[in-house]
Amino acid sequence: MKGKQEIHEFVQSLLTGNGDNGSLADDDSLLISGRLQSVDAVEIVVFLEENFGIDFAQIGFDRDQIDSIDAIYALVEAATNRN
Amino acid sequence: MVTQLHSSQSLRNRLAEFRLIPRVETCPKVVSFAQTSLGRITMLATFGLGLCYFVPNPFIAMFFTSILAFMTFMPEYRHFILAVTPIAIVILQSFKEPLLLGLNLAVMALGIVLYWCTRRWPESRFGQRPVAFLLTGFTALIVFACAATPRSLSYSILWDLVGFMTSYIWFIAYALIDRSSKPARDLTLELATFHPLWGSSTVPFPKGAAYLRRIEAQDPERLAIVQLKGLKLLAWAILLAVFQNLWYGFFHGYLRIPMPDQALAMSVRGTPVAWHLRWECQILAFFELILGFSVMGHRFISFCRMAGFNALRSTYRPLSATTIIEFFNRFYYYFKELLVDFFFYPTFLRYWKGHRRLRTVFATFAAVLVGDSFFHLTRDWQFIQRDGLWHAIMGYQASFVYNAALATGLSVSQLRKRGHRPTGFFRGRLLPTFGVCLFYTLVIVFGSEGRQFSVVQTLKYLASLFFIRW
Repeated sequence: MKGKQEIHEFVQSLLTGNGDNGSLADDDSLLISGRLQSVDAVEIVVFLEENFGIDFAQIGFDRDQIDSIDAIYALVEAATNRN
Repeated sequence: MVTQLHSSQSLRNRLAEFRLIPRVETCPKVVSFAQTSLGRITMLATFGLGLCYFVPNPFIAMFFTSILAFMTFMPEYRHFILAVTPIAIVILQSFKEPLLLGLNLAVMALGIVLYWCTRRWPESRFGQRPVAFLLTGFTALIVFACAATPRSLSYSILWDLVGFMTSYIWFIAYALIDRSSKPARDLTLELATFHPLWGSSTVPFPKGAAYLRRIEAQDPERLAIVQLKGLKLLAWAILLAVFQNLWYGFFHGYLRIPMPDQALAMSVRGTPVAWHLRWECQILAFFELILGFSVMGHRFISFCRMAGFNALRSTYRPLSATTIIEFFNRFYYYFKELLVDFFFYPTFLRYWKGHRRLRTVFATFAAVLVGDSFFHLTRDWQFIQRDGLWHAIMGYQASFVYNAALATGLSVSQLRKRGHRPTGFFRGRLLPTFGVCLFYTLVIVFGSEGRQFSVVQTLKYLASLFFIRW
């Protein structure tokens, strides 16, 4: 669960940076709910590329994949299993 | 002293919490009432009355309200109603012109066929880059239309086709990029999004069918909340529209401040325009853009919410933005999303991966300089038909500068480090907001929709705002 904790902290830092100090559950919607914006989605993409070696150009990109901490973690797990 | 601090803090909190239109959707009693038959009828009737402000014909407003009533009381038929009604309207509107009707339906059918192809052959070249193929095909169609002999049958058919394709192109594009989301059981919602019942510009409000599926109200309580939010948004749209009318009447009617295009035209002709007047019309133009886009977006999204989809607003407190990128996000959300989805992400994910800053700038220029220019050039296809492709592109030169300046501003805004923003009301809020407003006020000098001014003429006008003349 180390990866999940890392993801949680990173997303929390993005929310805090946007002045959103509300609670964050693992299944909370991030992008569709409007809590995070497309600029933040870019930050998440770079974070996943740098820390988990995910290449979105290969696997295809859909915002659903990064809309919650659970979704991001599922993506990381799938990428880890693929490698 | 402590008591004084507390009271000033609570006053500030109360001011921050103040809403001109109360947050009724958070009140459990109102939400419960909105789920009853009487509550639903009350909401629908109120919405129908509000709709009359924007739809002058009361029978049309009544028709749309009845459609909303069907969807409210029989949500299981929502997708079907949304898909069938716009097609029925298209047929009723143009059945006397079979050629136009045929072309219109053919473009819709093309969208469904392309969507099916991306699902059927996801690994093919087309399946991998469907939007690139779509936009290339659309460009080829425009080139063919330009090459056709004027006043021939093929000429009129090709340009009619260009017109219909322009209306549908971004809707079809959204259907195509939805290929990677979970497969849908039926395609009715895809069809519904090609011609949304709630209305739309050439920008899809609110994006495609996959997005609608994610934001759809799934139970009566959620539907009640979403509809209450829709009702509130319509009320907000009416308030803003009334304010907009007063604004135009006062500034342009009573005070006779020219519109920016008029001031620019006068300046080009050599008619002197007072310095303060040029500034006034630029500042007014900035606020008028916000007002115009707010009213339009709120109208569409309020209807969309009444239909049961909890879409985000298109314009959301743009004047609270403290950065250029934040304003761009808040000002016209669905257009920004279009640029991000079709131009920014595909570029960002593929190119310059080892260079964080470069890839951000490159993708931003791809979105704003290429994407925005392509969008507006093709949206205004009548200029291409009238003047030819080359002259239409040349006529767009000032807008290219607008896009380049905007792309530069957005790139710089993104590259500035997060977390190092000044705090305090003056340095943290007022000054950055003023800077953002000033940037957009100046950059929209190049955004004239009329396409009648060259870059040099526009630059001279911009320079004259700062007493620079050449």
